[in-house]
Amino acid sequence: MAYIIHIAIIIGIFAILTVSLNLTIGFTGLLNLAHIAFFGIGAYTSAILVMKGIPFFASFIAAGVFAAMFGLLLIALTQRLQGDYFALATLGFAFVTHSLLLNLDSITRGPLGIVVSSNPRFFRVDIVTNFQYLIYVLIVLSLVLLLLYKIGKSRYGKVLQAVRDDEIGAQALGKNVKKIKYQSVMLSAAMAGIAGSLFAHYIGFIDPATFYLYDLIIILTIVIVGGLASTKGSVLATILLIILPELLRFLPLPHTAIGPLRLITYAAILIAVLMYKPRGLFGKVDFQ
Amino acid sequence: MIALQLLINGLIAGSIYALIASGFSLIYSTNRFVHFAHGSVAAIGAYLVYTCLVQLSAPFWLACILSIVLAACIGGAIFALLYKPLMNKKSSTAILLIAGLGLSIILDNLLLLIFGATVKSINPFPVAKGISIFGAIITPLQLVIVLTAFLIFAILWIVMNYTKFGTITRAVADNPELAKISGINTTKVQYAGFMIGSAMAAIAGILIGLEQQLEPGMALHLMISGFTGAVIGGLTSVPGAVLGSYLLGFVENISVWFFPSGYKAAVAFSLLLLFLLIKPTGILGIRKGIRQ
Repeated sequence: MAYIIHIAIIIGIFAILTVSLNLTIGFTGLLNLAHIAFFGIGAYTSAILVMKGIPFFASFIAAGVFAAMFGLLLIALTQRLQGDYFALATLGFAFVTHSLLLNLDSITRGPLGIVVSSNPRFFRVDIVTNFQYLIYVLIVLSLVLLLLYKIGKSRYGKVLQAVRDDEIGAQALGKNVKKIKYQSVMLSAAMAGIAGSLFAHYIGFIDPATFYLYDLIIILTIVIVGGLASTKGSVLATILLIILPELLRFLPLPHTAIGPLRLITYAAILIAVLMYKPRGLFGKVDFQ
Repeated sequence: MIALQLLINGLIAGSIYALIASGFSLIYSTNRFVHFAHGSVAAIGAYLVYTCLVQLSAPFWLACILSIVLAACIGGAIFALLYKPLMNKKSSTAILLIAGLGLSIILDNLLLLIFGATVKSINPFPVAKGISIFGAIITPLQLVIVLTAFLIFAILWIVMNYTKFGTITRAVADNPELAKISGINTTKVQYAGFMIGSAMAAIAGILIGLEQQLEPGMALHLMISGFTGAVIGGLTSVPGAVLGSYLLGFVENISVWFFPSGYKAAVAFSLLLLFLLIKPTGILGIRKGIRQ
């Protein structure tokens, strides 16, 4: 049972990460490979602030705000780029962030990582057990999903998709494309930041290796399997693809082989989906 | 003294980056998409030499030739089995990039599964004393690395500029549509780009294997340095990629003067972001496909 609750918490956190990544890749059409960096920035922000004695709720909000600020920086740097170049620049941004987390010893403790020991506490409500933590994660996830649902139904959501499908057309209709790209990336970064906060306080230990290419591949695979511009698809694919590699644990394999096999599984699924079903489970649009 | 030593270190690092970057750029210019598994092919090249030397106890020169030929075949196979089917489905370059990213994860982790995480080394030569040039030290091996790189760039330059194959390749790089209309078999050029580029990656992998050690994580590092060098120099220009890689090597090593050496990677990526921001075409690139 404890194991099931653990998996459920991880699914909840990754669902926030993937639906927010889908907001930029799927809805707005920006192949943003820096998402994992925002996850890391949120995790570090929240962990460092809590360890310095800042109230938990404030740290949680700060994680989102701080990640959004980095989202602003990213889009300000890359807004003129298109296609491959945008993807490479965002990937470069993720590598710079990883390198800074690794090297700014005085703030992040470098490769040693940070141990986050105190329990989350919201206005006199303590979260002690994993089950309580699961409820907390599910509340945050529902709020994120509600927001994305509202955006999807709203006129604003239609404008986001118009930017993806026909940027010049949207501009011709008087939409401020630049502003919309900024908002989309910042909102998505903020969501990744709060997912980072949830992750840091659940696992209790963070180090730069968690926020690197390998976890990027996992969330990218989930978004593509779920389908672009489909929040429902991302959530279902998260459940499916977090549980699936867990089955590897029950096979008689040496424990050093599990990590690499898990990544190979993800990458193989990614390539198979791109080859045979590029729209994924519930995808509404093709990759531009 | 230290300045000269840093310059020499930059030259050595730049030579290896340039071998990766020029192969990468050759593939990019003939195919017009980012082949992200290029660094993994370089790592495979290095591990192939290790296997031939240590497991099969083959002579060094034979191991190198085998590894380079096999890497070329692997490059061709990657194109035929992964990219070509995707291209036939009219997949966008974003899909090809992500597929390459996925492939690199598979290859790197296969290396990890087969050879384990412990570092391996290939050193068929006895360790020689460094040669001192005005107080800066360069080992004979490092000299070989730099000279091999120069030799390969010279060959590549002659082939690209003075042979029919080179002219055709440049025509495809410049304007694929027009090249096709003129009766050039672009698929053949794409295969050639992949095979030659991958062979060059293997050479870089072997050289870095001789100079440093082999570990599965090297693929990612090589890939990042290679594409940074190529983007700085201009993705569509092979001489540009070489130039950009040397610039990267120098900047990385000179940055050690100002920052702790752990920041080398951050400096490299900052240079990449800076170039993408100010001059996305790179130093010698063609202005195409950067903005719509």
